[in-house]
Parts: sequence; C-alpha cells; structure tokens
Amino acid sequence: MEKAAAIVSCVTRPAPGRPPVSVPLAVAMLAGGCAWDGPMSTLTGRSDLARSTLYLYGIVTWATVIIGSVVIGLLAWILFRYRDRPGAPLPRQIAGHSLLEISWTILPALILLVIAIPTMQVIFRTQAPPKPGALEIQVLGKQWWWEFRYPSLELVTANELHVPVGRTVSLRLEGPDVIHSFWVPQLGGKRDVVPGRVNRITFTPDTPGDYPGQCAEYCGTSHANMAMRVIVDRPADFEKWVATQKATPGEPAGAAAEGKGVFTKSACVGCHTIKGVSAGALGPDLTHFGSRQTLAAGMFPNTVENVTAWIRMPTVMKPGAKMPAVPMTEAEAKALATYLVSLK
Amino acid sequence: MATRGAAFQHAVPTAAGAHAPAATGVWSWITTVDHKRIGILYGISAFVFFLIGGIEALIIRLQLATPGAHVVSAETFNALFTMHGTTMVFLAVMPFNAAFMNYMLPLMIGARDVAFPRLNALSFWIFLIGGLFVNASFLVGTPPDGGWFGYTSLTLRQFSPGPAVDFWVISLQVLGASSVIAAVNFIVTILNMRPPGMTLMRMPVFVWMSLVVQFLIVLAFPAVTVGLIFLTFDRFFGTRFYDVLAGGDLHLWQHLFWIFGHPEVYILVLPALGIVSEVLPVFARKPLFGAPVVIYSGVLIGFFGFGVWSHHMFAVGMGPVADAAFSVGTMLIAIPTGVKIFNWLATLWGGTLRPTVALHFAVGLIALFTLGGLSGIMHASPPIDLQQTDTYFVVAHFHYVLIGGALFGLFSGAYYWWPKITGRFLSEGLGRLHFWLLFVAFNLTFFPQHYLGAIGMPRRIYTYQTGMGWDGWNMVSTIGAFGIGLAVFVFLVNAARSLRGPRTAPNDPWDARTLEWRTSSPPPPYDFETIPPVYGRDTFWREKYGDRRGRKPVPLPPAPDPHGTHLPAPSTWPIVMGLGIGLGAVGALTSLALLIVGALILVLGAFSFALEHHRNPMHEHQVGSIGLDHRKLGIWTFLASECMFFGSLIATYMAYRGKSVVGPYPHEILNLPLTTVSTFDLLMSSLLMVLALDAITRGDLAKTRLWLAGTALFGLIFLGFQVYEFASFVHEGLTLQQNLFGSTFFVLTGFHGGHVTIGVAWLLTLWIMALRGRLDRRDAVKVEIAGLYWHFVDIVWIVIFTLIYLVP
Repeated sequence: MEKAAAIVSCVTRPAPGRPPVSVPLAVAMLAGGCAWDGPMSTLTGRSDLARSTLYLYGIVTWATVIIGSVVIGLLAWILFRYRDRPGAPLPRQIAGHSLLEISWTILPALILLVIAIPTMQVIFRTQAPPKPGALEIQVLGKQWWWEFRYPSLELVTANELHVPVGRTVSLRLEGPDVIHSFWVPQLGGKRDVVPGRVNRITFTPDTPGDYPGQCAEYCGTSHANMAMRVIVDRPADFEKWVATQKATPGEPAGAAAEGKGVFTKSACVGCHTIKGVSAGALGPDLTHFGSRQTLAAGMFPNTVENVTAWIRMPTVMKPGAKMPAVPMTEAEAKALATYLVSLK
Repeated sequence: MATRGAAFQHAVPTAAGAHAPAATGVWSWITTVDHKRIGILYGISAFVFFLIGGIEALIIRLQLATPGAHVVSAETFNALFTMHGTTMVFLAVMPFNAAFMNYMLPLMIGARDVAFPRLNALSFWIFLIGGLFVNASFLVGTPPDGGWFGYTSLTLRQFSPGPAVDFWVISLQVLGASSVIAAVNFIVTILNMRPPGMTLMRMPVFVWMSLVVQFLIVLAFPAVTVGLIFLTFDRFFGTRFYDVLAGGDLHLWQHLFWIFGHPEVYILVLPALGIVSEVLPVFARKPLFGAPVVIYSGVLIGFFGFGVWSHHMFAVGMGPVADAAFSVGTMLIAIPTGVKIFNWLATLWGGTLRPTVALHFAVGLIALFTLGGLSGIMHASPPIDLQQTDTYFVVAHFHYVLIGGALFGLFSGAYYWWPKITGRFLSEGLGRLHFWLLFVAFNLTFFPQHYLGAIGMPRRIYTYQTGMGWDGWNMVSTIGAFGIGLAVFVFLVNAARSLRGPRTAPNDPWDARTLEWRTSSPPPPYDFETIPPVYGRDTFWREKYGDRRGRKPVPLPPAPDPHGTHLPAPSTWPIVMGLGIGLGAVGALTSLALLIVGALILVLGAFSFALEHHRNPMHEHQVGSIGLDHRKLGIWTFLASECMFFGSLIATYMAYRGKSVVGPYPHEILNLPLTTVSTFDLLMSSLLMVLALDAITRGDLAKTRLWLAGTALFGLIFLGFQVYEFASFVHEGLTLQQNLFGSTFFVLTGFHGGHVTIGVAWLLTLWIMALRGRLDRRDAVKVEIAGLYWHFVDIVWIVIFTLIYLVP
C-alpha cells in the first residue's frame, strides 16, 4: 500500500508551467494541424474548476496512453513474432496460467487506484457548497436562449454573462421547459439545467476574457443555436457594466424614436421587457439589448441589418425559434431594430 | 418412431454429408421455424437496416463536413441522428447478434434446434414489424427526433407534438417484446438443450457470452419498458409521470432508461467478444488462454453492468456521493475487461497465426476495443466526464466500442462462419481489402473526433460556426465516413460473388475446435445426424488431435437422442401474431378500430399458436439437460423479467409517494377493509390453484375441472373488486390525470389487474379444454406453468397491497 501511495503522489503531482494533457494527446494525434487552445477547448482552464479537472485529465491521459501503447505494442509484436510460417508445427496447447492471470487482474486494479483517489478528491472539492460572499447568479435555460438573473444586483440579461475576475461565482441552474446543460469549457465542466430541480456550478474565474459556451444537452430543433458567452471582467470593468445595466436607457431620437413607437404599438411588449417601456416575461429582457455583442443566443453579430432580418423572419434566421414574426413593414422593422440596437 | 405426429416432417438422416431435401419457396421462409433459417432472416434484415442507418450517418457527416452547411435542415438533422442511433442499436447490432446466436448456438452445443422454435419465429417477425414501423415514420414525413435516449420533458406532447415520438415509443416497446421473447428462448436452449457431457464450463465462450447477454436482456429491458409505458401514458392519456408542475421528476426517465441503457452496451458488445474468443484460438491453433477466466470476466462485466447506469448521468446533478459511487463502480468494469484483453493476447502468444480475414477482424477488435475502453476509463472520472460528456469525445468513444468492438467482431464472425452457413467461401483477397479499408477509414472518421470533443465540439448540433478550430477535422471525419461506406460496399460485393459461386466449403475448413464444424456445410435441417459426443472443452479438436498431450479420447457412443431427428412443423401463427402487433401499432397512431382489429388478431393468433400442437406426442416430453421441462424453465425466466417489470413500477410508486401537489391523497381515499377482502380472495385462489395441479397430477379430472374453475372464479371476483375500487376512486375525483398518486396508482394496479385478466383467460382456457376432455394427467405441466404464473401474480399483489395500503 505504501508503494501504491508513493506512485500516486508521484504521478499526481501537477507539472508546473505547462498543460499536463496536451503532450500525450498531441503525441497521440500525430497531427501538426491541431491547436489545443480553441475558443471552447477543454484543455485551457481559466478557473479553479477547469484547472482541477485538467489536473485529473493529465493523470488519466498519461495512464491511458501508457496502457494503450503497451497493449497495442505487445499485440503488434505478437502478430509479427508468431505469424504463420510454412511448415510450422502445431503450437503447444497451453490452456492457461493461473499466476499470470491473477497478476493481470491485480495490476489494472492498482492502476485504477491511481485514477480513483484523485478523482474522489476533485469530486468533493468541486461540488462543495459555495463559500459566503460568492456572487450568486440564477441561470435559466430556455428553448433556445439563456436568461441570467443577478438577484443581489437586481439585474437581468440574456445570453451574455458578465462576472468579475477573482470572485467566486455560484450559478443556480433552473429551467422552465426542457433539459439543457450549461457549459463554458474554459471555465469548467457542464451541469444540466433540469426543470423542477436546482443544480449548481461554483467556480472562480482567474483570467479576464471572453469565453464562449453552449448548451450541451439536446433540447430540440435549435439546440445547435443555443450558445452563450461568459465575459470575465476586471473588477472595475464589471462595476462599470453593472452601473450601465442598472441605468434606465435614455429617450431615443430620430429613427430610434420611431422604432420605439413601433415597439410599444406592436405585440413585442407582450413578451419582452424594456425597463420603463414594457414588462413582458416570455422573451429575453431587451433593456440593454444594444450592449450585447450577439443576437439570437450567439448566432449573429448584433447589427441593425441582422436585427431587422430577425424581426421579419425569426424562424428563417433560427430554426424553430419561438418568437413569432410580428407583422410589420420592412421600414418599421428597420426602425425597431435601430431602436433596439441603440439600447446600450 | 412410427408414432410420430402427422404434423412433423420426417427428415431421415442419410449418408454422411448428404443434404436432406429442404422445403423451398417464399412460403417456406414465412412459416419457417428452423433456427438456421431464422438466423439468416435476422442477418439479412439487420443488414438492410444497417445500410439505412449507415446512409443516415453519411448524411449527418455531409452536413457537418463544413461549418454552416445547408445539406439538411435542423429538423431533418435531429431526426437523422435519432434514427441513426435507434437503428444501429436496435435494428442492426442487436439483430446481427441474434442472427449468429440463432444459427450457431444450437450447433455449438450439439442441439437440433432451439427450445421453442415457433417462439423463435415470433421474435423475428415482431422485430421485423417493429423495425419497419419506426422506419415508416420517414414515409409519412414525421421521423422521431427526440434522440435515441428520448429524454423527457423534450419527448412529452407539449414539446414534441405530432406522431414522430409516438412512432419511436411504440416501436421500442415492440422491439423490446421481441428481444425478451428471444432471450427467454435462448436461456432455455442453452441451459436445457445441451447433450450429455456438455457441462456449462465446456460450452464455447460465444455460447457463454450469449447466455450472459440473454440474462441482461431479460433483466434490463423491463426498466425501459416501464419508462416507455409512463411516456406513452403521459403522451396519450395525460398522466403526470414526467410533469414537473405536478411534482414529477425528470430524473425518473433517465434512471429507467439507463438502467436498461448501460446493460444494453454489453448486450451489444459481449456477443462480439464471444466471437473473438472463438476465432482467435482457431487461427492461432491454440486453446483460448484461461477460458474459465474469460467466461467469469464476461459474467462479471454483465453483473457490474447493472450497477453503473448513473455514469451516464454525472452532469444531471446527483451530488458528490452518488457521483463518487458510480465512478468507482464504472472503473471496476475495467478490470474484467482488461483481463479479457490480456487473455486474448496470451492466446495469440506462441500460436501459429494464420492471417485469415476472420483473424484480421478479431485482432482489429482487440486494438480498437482497447482504445474505446481506455477513453471509457477517462469518463469514468466524473470531473473529466463533465468536460467530455455530450461532446464528440464521447461520440468517438462509443464508436470505438460499438464499431471497433461490436461490428469488427461481427465481421470476424461473418468471415469465420460464412462457409458453414452458405457452404461457400468469401474471397480472402476482397476480405482483406474490406478489412483494411474499414480499419483505416474507421480511424480516420473517429480518431479525430476525440480531438474535436477535447476542443469543445458538442454532440447533436446540426451546425457550427467557423473559428472554433473544428472545421478541418470535421472534413477529415466526413471523408473517413465515406471510406467506411466503401468498405461495406466491398463486403457486399464479396458476399454477392460468393453466393453466385460453387459450394466448395468442406465441413471443417478452418480446422476448428467446436461442434458446429462437425456437421456438413451448410448443416442439414436436423443439424446433426446423431447427437455428437462431448469429450471436453473444444471437444471437436479433441476428437481430431487429442488432449494437450495428444491422447485421443475413447470414442463414446452417440449420445442418447430422446426426440429422434424430427423437425418441428412450420407454423403460420408467428407471422400472424406479428401482423396483429403491426396493425395495432398503426392503429395506435390512426384509429381505435384498427387498434382493436390488431389486438384481436394478436389474441386469436396467440390462442391458435398455443393450441397448435396440443396433443402432439412429440411435444409431451420436454425435460432437458438440467432436469426441468423447457416450458417450466421458460416461465421461470419470464417471471424473472416480470419481477424487474413490477419492481420498476413499484419503485416509481414509492419514489413518487407524497409528491402529489393536489389531492385526493392516498389516506383520504384508500379503502383498506375492502381491499383486505379482495387480497384474501386472491390468496385463496392460489390455494385452489395448488389443488388443481394436485388433482391433474393424480389424474382426477373432475377435481381438476372444479379447482380450475374455482381459481378463475376467485380471480374474476378480485377483478370485480378492482373495477369497483377504480370506479369509486374516479367518482371521488382520483383519475389517471389528477395527480402523481392517481397516475402511479392506476398504472401499477392496472397493469397488475391486466396480468390477473390474462391469468383468468389462461385458466378458463384450460378449464374449457378439461370440460371437452382435451386435458388429462399428461398435461399436468401445462397446468403447472399456468399455476407458476398465477402464484407470481398473487405474490406481486401482496407486495403492492403491503406498500400501498398497509404502509402509512
């Protein structure tokens, strides 16, 4: 047992200064065209949660790559060494060997200990209840967009989640319709959003940046189009963002003013909230719509042209979209889009 | 032998190697009960469905080859991956396994057929109907699109209106029935049809793995059956099982589905591991290394396979304790799996490896299944799984297991057994081309998917944006997929050329070790002229080469053959019952009248089926190698399945206890005194059943009639109580739809009542036969199996009564 423990501590010590996973995987891929740090890569941790996963990932990847190489290598050698040669005699009819078989039953069990012990540690560490002082955010997964509510800040936004760097964030995952799964790979593993239940993800982002994520549980027609982004701000930037979001947007002018008129007179108000204008609850809150970079849960850049097209034919832009095409002329739609994009 | 019933075809063994004339023509295939023909029917149907599933996969890959592609719409894509998964699992790999089991199991254990040849035909026709039904959804433009795992609430009527998911739900139930019927049949065949000398540990490993798989089917399918019943009731009758607002829990479906779904993985892959364990020794010309350990490890994999379902659910939020427990359980499965792989390597070690195509595929399986197993160890660790699950990493993992494992094993078996089945050889040259194309194309398709998953590509997305780093490797994967298609085409060409060629295969072309090679290629309808003697493990090899030291066994006389070389007569009732089920399924989606017609055909078909061979002397003596009557062993196996069925229903009732958000609640409505009386009545019916069996065993026909009628009458009285109870509950406001209590109570007790109804019909049938003088002491076993069923249903009621009525 002492020996096993020694092996564990030796193997599990994280290698400083480099992602522990990429080396063996890169060797395995044998491919120069692979980059390991794509926008949704699981191999570049940017929070404590993602990093503790990476630490495990490293151990397990090394263990499996070594075992795999030994087995495949042995297989290849056997195939070469014992290939049929003309005139070969009948081989010895060996039925088995107890000692060998016992040892290759015990050996995998020992290797599994190397994986199991740190696994247990990480499970309990990452699923511990959040410390006091964590920023609690309610995450609602809906077909096919995300709503983020900050109860302590009295803020509501959609599809783009802002959090401050270095502060523990505790996400409360809830959903009104079908099962979704919240997943921002660089910040940590996924967790399902299950109607009727409350799930949690707790992590502390450690690097400012813009991290894309996506719904990871099949949730119907536009499951592929249910993206999100988490923007990890420096504390000052976060404060500024909060202040902007809490402000009531100013009175629009020009085409935007015309667009506001379209908005208030159409069915839009039944589903969307714009603070001081309407109080719909079904669709995303549009109070600061213009401050978001993308439209339709990460599908399109948030431009007047795209918003116009979206208003005119939402299900063409996004298959299955729940927003009906409210009847209006091209000009009205464009004015409305101008208004919405002006809501910074 | 002159007393043989007229219903039997006589097939007299002729000189060695001669083929008895077999019936030909389409009708002979429709009515066949020959395990070999049914095996071929399974194989051909599975291959056609395999091609359909493959075409679905190619369209999926075309859509994903480039970012933002418009090959198909989102809706079509979602239907394609749903149908691809459903097809490959239920309509390709499972029936491929069934094809080899049907054809080979009786031959490998030295039997002349399966225990219940007509049930065998029934399972095939039900399978075919289920497969055609779910694919018919394409013709009416509403293919299922809820995923092969059908998670609720997405599959509820609210989020999936229209018939698409209905097609899926109904066909899965039909396919499940087919699998359970076949499993009962195979279990009885393997346990009870072995000739003297074929002890359990002497059985070939393929037979062992098949036995494990059949137990998995019998015990695992009822869970998903219950889950599907809830889903069907929610969709059609408005029950509340998966209604979150009424207190329902969406984890319920996931548990029921994966309690089935994880054993299903072993149901798919263990037969292939069995095939490899047959092929390696033959082409290494050495016995399987540590055969008992290979067998035990297969049994352990099956056993552990029941305890790890929740590793499919690490992301759902079960909490750290459950995550940890299921993680350790999952890792444990790696041990017996590793043992198998090491034993295979040791089998090859020191052998004389003849590089046939069958060996190519078997060795390919070892390599690829090892990789699939190792990536499986990665997501046995929940924190890693949370990054990998629902990404292309998992897609890569399970294709390594199911293509690299199951399909490579099946192709190995196809090349190995083809000469036995057809009397012809497949071309080794085309076979090698097939292997290398498939091996390279498979790795080209699926190895990059590990990488795609690692850099964040989710599963089940019909499109993705450029700039994520996913573009290039998706294109590579698509190119690989078409290479797989080409490899399958090469196999088709090989098969077609072989079937046009002459019959050149001798009985034992590979110098093999097991009994199927001891008869002609293809085997005669009666399989063996005389039941072969069994000298030990690898008995045929021993006959040819002797034991380890070359000592040949003392020749035994042919084993005793209680049944003679009779062949069971063809029967039309299996396909009639299958058609009844098919009509009923169509009726469920279209018209109640059609549903009733289908049900009537099914019931009439079942009666005709059951009575077809009554008084046929060849059917009287069915005591097999473990000393039990086939029918008794069959009913015991079926009741094991029923235990899991009622277990799942009762567990759901218990889990939902006290979760209803509106009344009426149990304590307000349950009538304990009344139900105590009806429970007493049902218990007394079991006593009468015992008396009936005792009477017929003694040959006292008057008492037999009396007690059979009495048992049925007491059953009817119980049903009367239940009808009264249901009516009064509905009157007091408790309906199926009212709350969780209503849904769970009515479905649980209703299915129990359905079982009682079937039991009453069974008893009344026996009673009428007794009245008409068609039942005497020779038929005691028929009364006995009805009694076993009846007692089981009573015991289930005692559990239900205790848990619902007595426990406060």
